Amino acid sequence: MEVVEVAGLGKTYPGGTEALRSVSFSVHRGEVFCLLGRNGAGKTTLLRILATQLRPTGGQATVFGLDVAREPKGVRSRISVLPQEARPLMMLSAYDHVRLMCMIRGMSRADAARRSQELMEQFELWDHRDKLCADLSGGLRQRVLLCMALSSNPELLFLDEPTIGLDPVGRRQVWAAVRRLTKSGVTVLLTTHYMDEAERLSDRLAIIDKGQLAFLGTVEEAKAVTGAGMRVVIEASNGNGREVLSPKSNEEILAIVQRSIREGRRVTFQPPTLEDAFIRIVGGSIENETA
Amino acid sequence: MRTRLREILYIGIFDSLPLVRDPMMLILLSLISFLPVFFLFLFAGINAALPALVGAIILTLGFSSLAVAQSVYFYKHWFRFQDMLVASPVSPISYALGLSLSTLISSAPAVVLALAVILVSNPNPVGPVEVMLVIAASILLWLSMLFVGYALGASTKNTRRANSLPQVLGFMIGFLPPVYYPLDLLPGWLQPLAMLIPSTHAAQLAKHYFGLLTVPLSPSDIIIGWAYLIGFAIAMAFITVRKAHWVDP
Repeated sequence: MEVVEVAGLGKTYPGGTEALRSVSFSVHRGEVFCLLGRNGAGKTTLLRILATQLRPTGGQATVFGLDVAREPKGVRSRISVLPQEARPLMMLSAYDHVRLMCMIRGMSRADAARRSQELMEQFELWDHRDKLCADLSGGLRQRVLLCMALSSNPELLFLDEPTIGLDPVGRRQVWAAVRRLTKSGVTVLLTTHYMDEAERLSDRLAIIDKGQLAFLGTVEEAKAVTGAGMRVVIEASNGNGREVLSPKSNEEILAIVQRSIREGRRVTFQPPTLEDAFIRIVGGSIENETA
Repeated sequence: MRTRLREILYIGIFDSLPLVRDPMMLILLSLISFLPVFFLFLFAGINAALPALVGAIILTLGFSSLAVAQSVYFYKHWFRFQDMLVASPVSPISYALGLSLSTLISSAPAVVLALAVILVSNPNPVGPVEVMLVIAASILLWLSMLFVGYALGASTKNTRRANSLPQVLGFMIGFLPPVYYPLDLLPGWLQPLAMLIPSTHAAQLAKHYFGLLTVPLSPSDIIIGWAYLIGFAIAMAFITVRKAHWVDP
């Protein structure tokens, strides 16, 4: 049985905005599944439906075989969520946040204290435990929220842009924690705008565009969508202006090279990135920078 | 059942802990409803201050329950704490009762202190039944304002209004109607209007049971007072049920 199964899922908000249109995919146990998409593409709507926070208006979604709309109680005991742009209470300490969340989710005082310490040590928060969240940096606050989300040992964890505001070290700590979780069988469904994050973390990914599933597969499969398997960077000789192209055929590459030589511009070849694939799939323009 | 009680308790603690850990702020917030009492005592003496103190007890509970609107709004739209709890086994009833408990935790010290002052300073003999009836009237107003707070917090879409609406309503139930001052100070044509505000009924009943009205309430006034408070609470509960959602539509 798949952990998440989505079939023809649709969501039209009461105001008439159609956020999701017939989305179908599944998530396997123990994998990291990334949802990518532009702002307003429907990623958070999809995640909130799966996390039983929002009612779908069409299709069906099941988590652990339970329908999220009809049997949400069964789903809720096995999941946890870190919502997008969540914030801790400024006048409450880091430790109070994590310990109280453990107790709200049913742990005894002793278990909550033990679990809080374990999580806060894992995220290097233990030394900051008594500080008010107002006195913590943005990255440390985000880690407090992550500890809250992880407090209940969920089987399926939803992370909505979990590394926003984190420094590179903090991001890697989150990635390491996600990897540790998946090794112990936890399934992680996350949305992100960071392509490097999706590239490093995801076993599979889905790209949502205008409420529809635009791509489903692995990172390598996504990169293959770019065409000839490389990106061409053309720079003006004076360093002003940079153009990045993703040619689809050898003929196109040859034409680009010939044109660049004629114009006296420098050409370099790079393997395609997930960002190239993303832009290709969602139909935006390829990077075209002018310094 | 035990699980639900634990949820209520810890949600209540989560919400009230920042205030409980900052007694200065707790005292300052309590002072808002007790400030008019101080001035009445200073300029009009104990006879005016005691009824006003009764009004302050009622309003401390009313103000704190209205403030639940801010908790509901900000936990939903700013901290996203509600979203974390929706995706957990916590029930919406536990969440609502937890936030309600928090308003009691933060207002209880001031209420208990003021009750003690009244019982000590009141020249009229007051029995436990009267004290219970005053607490019941205060709790009914607290409950009504709590429902108003939930309905406001759940339906407000604007952060500014989430902050200002409870304050405006607090002013309307607290400082305009005859809660601190006697009803008969109002012109005759304004008195029926004042009776539309539930805090007037709660204050009149409480002052009556403490023997602090110059003319005690008639049995029919007492029945009308209780009926109005109960009816208002039921009406607000109905609106809250219509407005508040645990799972977004």
